[in-house]
Amino acid sequence: MIDSGQLEYHAGALAGLPGMTPVRLAKLLDGFGPVLAWQAVKAGTHPADPRRKFAVPARRTDVDDVGRRYARAGVRILLPGGAGYPSMLEGDPGAPAVLFASGDPAVVEGRARVAIVGTRSATHYGRQVASELAAELAGHGVVVVSGLARGIDGAAHAGALRGETGGAGPPVAVVGTGLDVVYPPSNRDLWARVAGRGVVFSESALGTQPHPGVFPARNRIIAALADVVVVVESHHGGGSLYTAEAAARRGIPVCAVPGSVHSRASAGTNGLLVDGCIPVRDATDVLVAVALARAGQDARAGAPPSVDVAPYPRAQPSRSARAPAGARASRDVERGAPAPLTPAQRTVWEAVDDTPTAFETILVRTDLPLAAAAEACGQLVESGALRSGAGWWSRS
Amino acid sequence: MIAAIPSAVLVGVDATVVSVEVHVSNGLPGFTVVGLPDAAVRESRDRVRAALLSSGLQWPLRRVTVNLAPSGMRKGGAGLDLPIAVGVLVASGVLPPRSVEGMAFVGELGLDGSLRGVPGAVVLAEVLRRYRLVVPEESAHEASLAGECDIRVAATLAALVDRLSGRRPWGEVGTTPDGSFRAASKPPGRPHAADLADIRGQRLARRALEVVAAGGHHLLLVGPPGSGKTMLARRLPGLLPGLDRPTALEATRIHSVAGLPLPPGGLIEEPPFRAPHHGASPVAMIGGGTTWMRPGEISLAHGGILFLDELGEFPAVVLDALRQPLEDGQVRVSRARGSTSFPARFILVGAMNPCPCGEGGAPGACRCSRAAQERYARRLSAPFLDRFDIAIRVDRPLAQELFGPPSAEGSATVAARVAGARERAAERGVRVNADMAGPRLADDAPLSSGAAAIVERQIRSGTLSARGMHRVHRLSRTIADLDGAGEVIGETQVREALLLRGQRRLLPGGGLR
Repeated sequence: MIDSGQLEYHAGALAGLPGMTPVRLAKLLDGFGPVLAWQAVKAGTHPADPRRKFAVPARRTDVDDVGRRYARAGVRILLPGGAGYPSMLEGDPGAPAVLFASGDPAVVEGRARVAIVGTRSATHYGRQVASELAAELAGHGVVVVSGLARGIDGAAHAGALRGETGGAGPPVAVVGTGLDVVYPPSNRDLWARVAGRGVVFSESALGTQPHPGVFPARNRIIAALADVVVVVESHHGGGSLYTAEAAARRGIPVCAVPGSVHSRASAGTNGLLVDGCIPVRDATDVLVAVALARAGQDARAGAPPSVDVAPYPRAQPSRSARAPAGARASRDVERGAPAPLTPAQRTVWEAVDDTPTAFETILVRTDLPLAAAAEACGQLVESGALRSGAGWWSRS
Repeated sequence: MIAAIPSAVLVGVDATVVSVEVHVSNGLPGFTVVGLPDAAVRESRDRVRAALLSSGLQWPLRRVTVNLAPSGMRKGGAGLDLPIAVGVLVASGVLPPRSVEGMAFVGELGLDGSLRGVPGAVVLAEVLRRYRLVVPEESAHEASLAGECDIRVAATLAALVDRLSGRRPWGEVGTTPDGSFRAASKPPGRPHAADLADIRGQRLARRALEVVAAGGHHLLLVGPPGSGKTMLARRLPGLLPGLDRPTALEATRIHSVAGLPLPPGGLIEEPPFRAPHHGASPVAMIGGGTTWMRPGEISLAHGGILFLDELGEFPAVVLDALRQPLEDGQVRVSRARGSTSFPARFILVGAMNPCPCGEGGAPGACRCSRAAQERYARRLSAPFLDRFDIAIRVDRPLAQELFGPPSAEGSATVAARVAGARERAAERGVRVNADMAGPRLADDAPLSSGAAAIVERQIRSGTLSARGMHRVHRLSRTIADLDGAGEVIGETQVREALLLRGQRRLLPGGGLR
């Protein structure tokens, strides 16, 4: 006998078990559903919990208690396929199995969405640009998505709240902590205003404290929610580049705000521009990108986002189109055009995947002579099909 | 009465002849040593007196003055015990002056009159070549390596006196013509405990070792703990050819002066492998010391490998002191009392983690913050890192490599290819390709048009500096020599050189370019 809300409360109770992570939670819920999964975990018979580490805490948890806690905190529990779950996350390969929302989750539906992200240690320039962009975009009815962190994120939310008029462009935040744990504490006021006018999402249960792992994971949700991702300022190798990468992997265009070549806070964004991302001077540039992106989405409506090739925008052999050209170029390489691959190049290309692959691994997978593999790697990097990092290679 | 006995003391890896003058005169009985002796020489008074008495000889109850000429130079070491004792015996009339004519002495005395070996016997014997040299039995082996010289051996002071006074003949032991001695006792073959065949997988690293051995390039291994960096480095000496005669002599002298044991054959013919701990002081690494300048680890590695594990843990002052010797092949050690230079031509092999956690910034695996990575990379200065021609990432072997069939070549096969490549370099008149001067590259290492285009593209895209270009050029020369690819360097060789040169950001915190 299942009352209304029982599914959600069971999912919330599962998510709140100590030691639970989004990945484990997804495994527990996969094929079971919240109530069955909860009963199996409690009984210690769940195949995804072979060591029964969740069994004892589950027995001590009262699901109704959990339900009352969420109701008291005003936090909604959203499940894929259920009411309020953002439609753009449905079918996403990294979609959260449970999403918590404080505010009105429906604001993300039916509106253009732009993620504005960037470094926490932002310069005055970066905060100013983020705030201006967000204000103007919100004024145009665009939903501004960000992460409620220090620096660029906070400036973007503040700008969006300023520009939002009469519910035209409500603010949306995705945070890493539980929705009752405000981090950083200095954003408490901002947090409340975003939740009041729009919505704050999290995939962490109530009470989850900030720790380094939750923020990069949160970035993928920001990317998946958006039509276009704008990186305002990012250090070389900064965390917002993960958002950019997550977006690129989903075929979502990445824009970057150019900065001074002397500013370390702009090293990452300027790098993105060199790699072929769309430069942003003002809100109009973003709106054009949004329009192009949504037109592209309509054209392939129904088709799930393609993630087989990581279309990380990069130096493109052909400069035919702006937004997803990187993606197209990579697929061209995979098909063998415009530059047909030599047999060695094809073997190496097949041995490298989206995750960093060491040269030694390439050698083992391809069984090519070392010199031939080195040559093929060099050529593929030059043609833009592969990129190389600190001793590893991956698909561009 | 006065006696002057020739001997020698070490100055760096060289030696200087010292005349030990002994004066015995009437007066209050006493024993003074003058001529800037250090503590060990001053203490020799007591050793010499006790040794004489234990050997059943008379100690002159008169005034004994010993002068070490040239008296302006500081002298160290206990090797002057024996010449002082012989001088006292001659000056006090126990031995006739004629019996020590044309003879030199080196050796330390025990209180019981026994003779003990001294460090640096080979160097001492070299400067005393025109004398008939008497050394302790322990040092005879080393002294004989100096080549053409007449070496006599004595086990105790009493036996020496017997021979000098003609009561007993000199044995046959001593006289050693150049070489014969060594050839007889040299062990056959080149047995190496560390064979390349022991390494599973690691094809890139094996290739890097081969290129390093062939071209004399410096190597940096970057990888997480447990990836076998040390194991790989230990295989490198087995790939190098044996030392040529001049280098072998230099290495032997250095080891001899440092008082380290020499191999059974006497001469150091195998490339040495030195792996100092990162706690080593600058003096231990570079050389130096007070009166007696001792060669440092970099000189002990002369002709072989200097392996610095945990490179990032070495103090910056030590690493930066390595830069000049890396450039010049020798190190000049200056102290207030003078300066000396030690040979120090070695292949530097560094090993380090890419970042504190060891995962090297690989997305999803590395747990280091950006700041931590940068702090770690800053420990090594960019000019120092630039000395490494080859920088590769070494990862833990994959499971299929560990449990797959061993298909790898052994050290002997690779060493044969290395020898061939070195021969080709020698034909062009360079010792190893890493020494090739920049201006000669165009003539001695011509690039095919395709290869030149690759290099040019790398420079244009900013991934390669002009300095890096020269290093890639030398590397590709070595690779072409190994492959027997002929004079013109092709695209494949340049691609491989670029791979070995290292990717940008091998240390995620920056530093390597």
